[in-house]
Amino acid sequence: MPGPLRRRANILAARAVADAVRTSLGPKGMDKMISSANGEVIITNDGATILNKMEVLQPAAKMLVDLSRSQDAAAGDGTTTVVVLAGSLLRRSLSLLSAGIHPTVISDSLYKLSVRAVDVLHSMAIPLELSDRDSLVKSAATSLNSKVVSQYSSLLAPLAVDAVLSVVDPEHPDLVDLRDIKIVKKLGGTVDDTELIHGLVFDKKVSHTAGCPTRVENAKIAVIQFQISPPKTDIEQSIIVSDYTQMDRILREERNYILGMVKKIKASGCNVLLIQKSILRDAVTDLSLHYLAKAKILVVKDVERDEIEFITKTLNCLPIANIEHFREEKLGHADLVEEVLIGDGSKIIKITGIKDVGRTTTVLVRGSNQLMIDEAERSLHDALCVVRCLVNKKYLIAGGGAPEIDMSWKLGVWAKELKGMESFCIKEFAEALEVIPYTLAENAGLNPISIVTELRNRHAEGETNAGINVRKGQITNILDENVVQPLLVSTSAVTLAIECVRMILKIDDIVTVR
Amino acid sequence: MMQVERLLKDEATEEKGERARMASFVGAMAIADLVKTTLGPKGMDKILQSTGRGRSVTVTNDGATILKSLHIDNPAAKVLVDISKVQDDEVGDGTTSVVVLAGELLREAEKLTNAKVHPMTIIAGYRMAAECARNALLQKVLDNKDDPEKFKSDLMNIAMTTLSSKILSQDKEHFAKLAVDAVLRLKGSTNLEAIQIIKKAGGSLLDSFLDEGFILDKKIGIGQPKRIENAKILVANTAMDTDKVKIYGARVRVDSMAKVAEIEGAEKDKMREKVQKIIAHGINCFINRQLIYNFPEELFADAGILAIEHADFEGIERLALVTGGEIASTFDNPESVKLGHCKLIEEIMIGEDKLIHFSGVEMGQACTIVLRGASHHVLDEAERSLHDALCVLSQTVNDSRVLLGGGWPEMVMAKDVDDLARRTPGKKSLAIEAFSRALLAIPTIIADNAGLDSAELISQLRAEHHKEKSNAGIDVISGSVGDMEKLGISESFKVKQAVLLSATEASEMILRVDQIITCAPRRREERM
Repeated sequence: MPGPLRRRANILAARAVADAVRTSLGPKGMDKMISSANGEVIITNDGATILNKMEVLQPAAKMLVDLSRSQDAAAGDGTTTVVVLAGSLLRRSLSLLSAGIHPTVISDSLYKLSVRAVDVLHSMAIPLELSDRDSLVKSAATSLNSKVVSQYSSLLAPLAVDAVLSVVDPEHPDLVDLRDIKIVKKLGGTVDDTELIHGLVFDKKVSHTAGCPTRVENAKIAVIQFQISPPKTDIEQSIIVSDYTQMDRILREERNYILGMVKKIKASGCNVLLIQKSILRDAVTDLSLHYLAKAKILVVKDVERDEIEFITKTLNCLPIANIEHFREEKLGHADLVEEVLIGDGSKIIKITGIKDVGRTTTVLVRGSNQLMIDEAERSLHDALCVVRCLVNKKYLIAGGGAPEIDMSWKLGVWAKELKGMESFCIKEFAEALEVIPYTLAENAGLNPISIVTELRNRHAEGETNAGINVRKGQITNILDENVVQPLLVSTSAVTLAIECVRMILKIDDIVTVR
Repeated sequence: MMQVERLLKDEATEEKGERARMASFVGAMAIADLVKTTLGPKGMDKILQSTGRGRSVTVTNDGATILKSLHIDNPAAKVLVDISKVQDDEVGDGTTSVVVLAGELLREAEKLTNAKVHPMTIIAGYRMAAECARNALLQKVLDNKDDPEKFKSDLMNIAMTTLSSKILSQDKEHFAKLAVDAVLRLKGSTNLEAIQIIKKAGGSLLDSFLDEGFILDKKIGIGQPKRIENAKILVANTAMDTDKVKIYGARVRVDSMAKVAEIEGAEKDKMREKVQKIIAHGINCFINRQLIYNFPEELFADAGILAIEHADFEGIERLALVTGGEIASTFDNPESVKLGHCKLIEEIMIGEDKLIHFSGVEMGQACTIVLRGASHHVLDEAERSLHDALCVLSQTVNDSRVLLGGGWPEMVMAKDVDDLARRTPGKKSLAIEAFSRALLAIPTIIADNAGLDSAELISQLRAEHHKEKSNAGIDVISGSVGDMEKLGISESFKVKQAVLLSATEASEMILRVDQIITCAPRRREERM
């Protein structure tokens, strides 16, 4: 069914997706419980996560899922907003289409609208200095307030800000690589116990044998990529034993071999070993652990290869791939390496007081159950993204539906200056933007119509920052309530939503191909 | 009367005469109608939904891409798919136009055969008309080869016209400039290999940029220099994990642990030796297609050499091409290995990702276009569009003849062909007239797709073109007839000519068919 019918079907399918996440928008939004095919349960109100797990098949609906993913990549927050916005724009497009307007005309008006909308947003923006920690914390808190973990926002928001600020490279003040922030999840405790650690944390145990140290001060740390175990060749090997004296000799040789390695390690002054995981052979054997314990060396094994770069960057050391290259200058230094007991019997390893610490940081997330921890991690990720957005583009904007209403009002005025179809389309779409405050109010249990109309009035009177104060259930100057978000989140939500709607409008057929 | 025995195998079928022709017409027109709506600056897009695993979704308005991926059973339809493919390979653009024109020619031919005109007469008429149309274009062609300023603006116009029908239309000026710069760097060669396109999600399309040199989407090994000046590069395809004896069942038998250790040591030494040999080439950058294990990586790091592992096939071949090196796999004769050179290697950041940038490369023409965009759909489509523009431009650099766009060439051709029809006696003239109608269909479709009143516009255009030296064409943006020269809408002559000739040829071929024999499908052997 090519042509208008197909377009209609596409729009309806895409809108169904938008409606599915609509109720999770805003600080009083509801959560969704998703049970996946393998029986895993997730509770979240992060739009991107919900949509990702939904397994949508209809191609146009899939585009909405991609849209929220793009928003996640671009701004990290506002993943629900962008989808709800697109859904509302699609609803208006449908009515325009049935009024007989050609899709390309609608699409062109949308483009003009997006350029203008971004201008409006810019005019509302408040510039920000990175030294203004309070504002940063406020905007991170706004993001966290709409999450399951909102009651912990006073703890998590400053934490996110500190984490991002500590990895900003003074040479490239606009760039933040979130990969430099490692999030370690550990079950037990509550989210309150979440902490930021300037150093390294491993969710591992120290390899234990009798007498192995679990706490080392003035640590000299080596990251090794070879194994302390009996030799193994790349070619298949077998040792032929023909009598029992030989057996003794082989055992002795094995011991000597390992002892030799341990001695070399000890000789360099190293007292903490991080051993990369190996699939070909054992990283350590009981025997080598025994010798290492004797030599008072703390051993952490099974470090993933992907983590090596992060670790070496943090410790400011070099990985060592061969025992022959084991030299002192390749070691990293730290004041303290210790195994810490947290909760009931689970342990983690902390490395703190690292000398010449690299620009990395670690966040240890705690929570009473796995669902909580996972959601806390997702929320923290959003908060980190929000702070990163602010580092990239140092502007803030009011939250609480204020920018949307303002855009809607200003664009509506603009539409009256235009002529023809364009004016008609832009007027419709300007109204479509009101869906965000409408939904915010609806989700908070307020009367959406009275709230939105009042908002409109206030904005028409020039109160640019009037927004919905969900906590008080009324309209106030939202800046006084410290509800702020990065400009980038709003601009990218508007532009991405419009781009996606235009793409859907331009499609007139679905062709099945190989 | 005697029953004719069956000539063909059981499941083979044949269609004859009128019916065969009918089947071809219907198939070809169905294909043309499918892509028709994508034509022109306001053409629509299609979703291609794959039936394969993953049900991947592509959104495109590139005719060649749509047709390439269709399931087709009708032989005539396959011919059309083929001409669009050839058009894509030869000139890169006009892949939709060629199919639509062929479809229209066949639609006209169908009417004529219904009016009892013999297919051969139609073919003869079409041939005359095509020749006449080509001459009409040749007369009106513009050539600014001698004036570099003007030529460049021609190129810009062509690029913008090509891009205006694609996803990049909003930012067409930006991309037209990118494409023109990239093509002008090639200095006349049509080797598009030297232009590398990298797609990185994030940012907006306007953030895309052209960079001289080469960008490799890989990571530099740990502890190695992140910036090298005057790099000497060895590009290799060799195993840097372990040199294994590749005989099955080879194994070492020893009788003591010390010997195992010795052999292990020997293996390490062998690797070390190999690394030494590589270093002995006097290089400071080593790029391998296969992976590099930790041990050699550390050796390279110690020697201050930048080692990149896992560069894929395409990556290293292009790298070897642009740096002027050769891909080596043995390292015993350093003097016989050609090294690549470049002025600077450094790590750069695009969006969130770190990439390795090689600048000042041996092959000066080489450059990289980094595309940014919101999603993978956008990026893929942007790449296809840009590729079309690059193809057309590189063709135009060689054949600098330029035409105006916006349906102007079709109008010019239609007018001359119409004249010819009036001068030609006999049934052929009917076919020539039909040809002119088919040509007019293209501006009609462009106008229809833009939601304009096509009948009104085309009649206005025809009146304009009746005057001498008219530049009138459809201005889709304002929805009226406009002066194409002033609006800067140009097309490459080569593309138009290819569209005209291959569409005529294809329709001729399909017209000649009077019997379709479908061979019996080959049976699969029943396996137990």
